[in-house]
Amino acid sequence: MTDPLESVEAALEDEGLFFSRDDDEDAFRIAFKSEGDRYFIVSYRDDPTFIMIGSGWALPQGIDAQDAIDVANRLNVRKKFVKTALWLEESDVLFTVELCVSTAEEVRPHFGRLLNVLRDSAVEFFEQLRSES
Amino acid sequence: MSSVRERMLRFIEGEGHRVDASPVDPGTGVSELLFRTRGQVFSVTTNENDATLISISTAYEIPEWARERSQNAETLERVRAQHGDVAFTLAHDGSLFVATLEQQATSIQELMSAFWHLVARVREAGSYAVEDMVDRTESKVAAEKFINSFMMPDR
Repeated sequence: MTDPLESVEAALEDEGLFFSRDDDEDAFRIAFKSEGDRYFIVSYRDDPTFIMIGSGWALPQGIDAQDAIDVANRLNVRKKFVKTALWLEESDVLFTVELCVSTAEEVRPHFGRLLNVLRDSAVEFFEQLRSES
Repeated sequence: MSSVRERMLRFIEGEGHRVDASPVDPGTGVSELLFRTRGQVFSVTTNENDATLISISTAYEIPEWARERSQNAETLERVRAQHGDVAFTLAHDGSLFVATLEQQATSIQELMSAFWHLVARVREAGSYAVEDMVDRTESKVAAEKFINSFMMPDR
């Protein structure tokens, strides 16, 4: 089977970023950092046209869960591409871009934009959460 | 003890970015580290004689149709006044400008903890300057069109 994330690796090279691979029997996975923040990319062996790019962040202690849900909902309405999801049991918030592509090569010219919107979503989420509390 | 260049190089690489580093100039102790972020190449200048001083620069190309040298120099002066610590230099016959921030800290650790904030300040000031140049050029073109059509004799 061809590696669906090969051209995503090329996009990371274009961006001048280091990355590491951690594939297993279920999925192709890439981990990387940009400006010190951690991101992941995943594609599943049984669904290679699906690609997810994301980042996970810890929620600050003592935040009101409903405030966080409200902020996430507002971002989901307003932001292109990015899905903001709360994982309250783990006290985490996840920002993901989920794509359906014929080949991962389609992602390469847009990768910088997708990374920017992921980054901006996280910044806006925490800024809005601070202003809510 | 590793050099200032080495420490800053390892820091930027540790943050996920590939770095192209020049050797240290034996005369001045200065070296240059190049890395990319958000599609833009940045240059960081370190100095072995002063670990607490760095300079961060990035270049912006001015669109060909907006290369009006005297007006762009004025724009850069105005943006400099608004963004205090970021300096601008027109280069290559006015086809690009370089935005530079020099930062003196009390320690190299302080520089590292503020590093992405400093990069963001350079980027914001540079982007603002490009927008201002383009906006003023477009406004001027629009104003000239209006004046020209206003001055035309009635048919």
